[in-house]
Amino acid sequence: MASMTRRKTINAVMMTLSTGAAALGLFVLAVILLYLLYKGASALNLSVFTQDTPSPMEPGGLRNAILGSVIMSAIAVAIGTPIGILAGTYMAEYGRYAKLSKVIRFVNDILLSAPSIIVGLFVYQVLVVSLGHFSALAGSVALAILVIPIVVRTTEDMLRLVPDQLREAGLAMGWPRWIVIRTVAYKAAMAGIVTGVLLAIARISGETAPLLFTALSNNFFSLDLTQPMASLPITIFQFALSPYDNWQALAWAGALLITVAVLALAIVARLVTSKKEKH
Amino acid sequence: MTATSDYDSGVKSTRPVAQSDRIFGSLTLAAAVVVLLVLLGVFASLVMGAWPAFKEYGLPFLWTAKWNPVTDKFGALAPLYGTVVTSIIAMVIAVPVGLGIAIFLTETCPRVLRRPLGIAIELLAGIPSIIYGIWGLFVFAPFMQSYIQPFLIDTLGHVPVIGTLFAGPPYGIGMLTAGLILAMMILPFIASLARDIFQTVPPMLRESAYGMGMTRWEVNRHIVIPHVRTALVGGIMLSLGRALGETMAVTFVIGNAHRISGSILAPGTTISAAIANEFTEATTPIYTSSLIALGLVLFILTFIVLAAAQWMLKRMKQKSGA
Amino acid sequence: MDTLIRDRSPMTFDGVDPAPKSRISIKNLDFFYGDFKALKSINLDLPENRVTAFIGPSGCGKSTLLRVLNRMYDLYPKQTATGEVLLDGENILGKKVDLNRLRAKVGMVFQKPTPFPMTIHENIAFGLRLANYAKSEIDDRVQAALKGAALWDEVKDKLQSSGQSLSGGQQQRLCVARTIAVEPEVILLDEPASALDPISTGKLEETIHQLKEQFTIAIVTHNMQQASRVSDRTAFMYLGELIEEGETAQIFTRPRVERTSDYITGRFG
Repeated sequence: MASMTRRKTINAVMMTLSTGAAALGLFVLAVILLYLLYKGASALNLSVFTQDTPSPMEPGGLRNAILGSVIMSAIAVAIGTPIGILAGTYMAEYGRYAKLSKVIRFVNDILLSAPSIIVGLFVYQVLVVSLGHFSALAGSVALAILVIPIVVRTTEDMLRLVPDQLREAGLAMGWPRWIVIRTVAYKAAMAGIVTGVLLAIARISGETAPLLFTALSNNFFSLDLTQPMASLPITIFQFALSPYDNWQALAWAGALLITVAVLALAIVARLVTSKKEKH
Repeated sequence: MTATSDYDSGVKSTRPVAQSDRIFGSLTLAAAVVVLLVLLGVFASLVMGAWPAFKEYGLPFLWTAKWNPVTDKFGALAPLYGTVVTSIIAMVIAVPVGLGIAIFLTETCPRVLRRPLGIAIELLAGIPSIIYGIWGLFVFAPFMQSYIQPFLIDTLGHVPVIGTLFAGPPYGIGMLTAGLILAMMILPFIASLARDIFQTVPPMLRESAYGMGMTRWEVNRHIVIPHVRTALVGGIMLSLGRALGETMAVTFVIGNAHRISGSILAPGTTISAAIANEFTEATTPIYTSSLIALGLVLFILTFIVLAAAQWMLKRMKQKSGA
Repeated sequence: MDTLIRDRSPMTFDGVDPAPKSRISIKNLDFFYGDFKALKSINLDLPENRVTAFIGPSGCGKSTLLRVLNRMYDLYPKQTATGEVLLDGENILGKKVDLNRLRAKVGMVFQKPTPFPMTIHENIAFGLRLANYAKSEIDDRVQAALKGAALWDEVKDKLQSSGQSLSGGQQQRLCVARTIAVEPEVILLDEPASALDPISTGKLEETIHQLKEQFTIAIVTHNMQQASRVSDRTAFMYLGELIEEGETAQIFTRPRVERTSDYITGRFG
């Protein structure tokens, strides 16, 4: 059968192409990661963690930037997680059948993929202009706005996976709804929600654009939330575009640190969920 | 032993809910409203910030190519052009390759490798865009300058019509390089999204198609892809939304030149790159306002794309009865 | 209110009451899912300390009726009930009814076991604490409830392990224990044995038999042998209507309506 041969040839060609696409894609991504590992590892040493960002051509590290990223991410999570969990709870529990939930789900999905630089512009106008200067707090709020939609989404999804019957069983005991949510629904959805929070941290720890004109940056060690604060991504951005070798090296070291942190968070997030599934 | 007042005592409102429930319920509602207010706030603040620019230049702001901070003359056309061109380049490359990876992962890939490779792709989708940017600046742009761009200029550059796309000197940085970096960045995203979508195809459907004697390619081409078409388009639009708004992967390698060039090898700029580069250096209020106006344009553009994506993904969900 | 529930005497005075008084009276009850009328003018009394079984083909409304009795339908939109359901003389369909209190009085056990994600002990103790039982009596009440549900001997050595680690039959009896621990007046059982193996089913039926000494019980079942084994009274429902209701023996041996006998003899459904 000639047509059969033809079909088989087309099949072979197309499947080879798709395999080739996979090979190419994975190859490019592997090249990026390996190069990052090579450059980052060769620039990484103890002083990266113990010294602050230096002047050009002077020895130094990323201590203030690392600390700044950790502080701002922590505040962002502290602001974003409760709001996100509560909003997700509204959509999956109290407001499950409300029109408002549909609107918020749509809005939340837009926020989830909206350009992060827009969030930076928003916070700049609300917090930087009104306060008169850049601040770590403004940076944290910008990051919190990125945390919220991720946590809302996972909370809602996870709560919806909790079987109605379990919820009904709690209510059938005569318990108030919020107790049923707390003791039954949250417990059953906990692993998923934790995963969502971890993924949110992973997401914001590499975000640069929303910090550009909120937290700005700071070459010195600072813990003052009302002042500009250094962060890893912004430092990488500035140092990479500089002509100085030592700054560029620090940029690579910072890039490696961020990548390792993000991958580690994502892997832990997966482990949390898969451990739960085994039960 | 019974008391008819049992039900009435302690119930102050006409609604049969406990007091504690009303407090917690209102709290969750308030949080949900915060989500709504954030989006409205973003929109309102952009409109307010962009107002001076639109008052000064009117709607022609959108199709004016001039961007001159010295004379305070601003127009959005060049960054808009750069945004669209880089996104198109990214999509043209990342969509077929991403679909190829997804088909590979659901069909050809040896079973033992499916899960690890799938997880690897998902992990890669989470790598911050600044990583792609810095790699693009130090590795990919020089590579483009030394090898790819001279080759393109020598070959395609002489072909009539499309030759203008590949005209000019090899700068290394430029719209093509930015588009390619964008493609690499959204590739894992598209691939894992497409894989998830392919996996919603009921195994029975696949099996009955194989049962008809179809080849793998035919099953995917005629059964799987048509079955999930809407969701796939939705997923692609979602990726497009990402590409349009991406800042860091682009800013490093676009060249930041406010000009419109027929050649994709030439430096250009995108909306987000212009904002990232110039916002803290904007010296006059109208300059700042023009940058915010660019932000508003980007916001509206991505909003439309993302809203369309949501709509398509939702239609798919309803179809599959999830 | 808690004292009121606890003060309730567990049994009628003379032990065996030939005509026990009704605990729940359903009067002209209609139920709607949106526009669809799922229950049509139901009139029925559930007598105290008796087991009433609801039988009928799937979709006949028997589970819906059960879910009216503790207002579980309130959780979902567009579900409405009209008519009257009197519990101790009070219409529980009223707007002002405190659902938490109603459900504390009317316990329910579901089709699939629904242990809460906590320890076996906590599954029972948590509800007791919420109902303001004194701390000192909680351990004793947990034990009593587990004994009442015929589960004590099987779990007494692992009260601190997860409720979800038990077998299906044990989980279901844990749910029964959890329900009886807070001393409701009525217990609703919605096909409680449908997910269980025959041995677990037997144990559960045994438990039900003992529970009626203390509680008024309504059970929905698709298994007619089960209905005949555990119930004192049986109500046959069809397409949202109550076709026939009476002593179980009478319904199974001398049904008055032809459709009932068709169903019982397996000619349809």
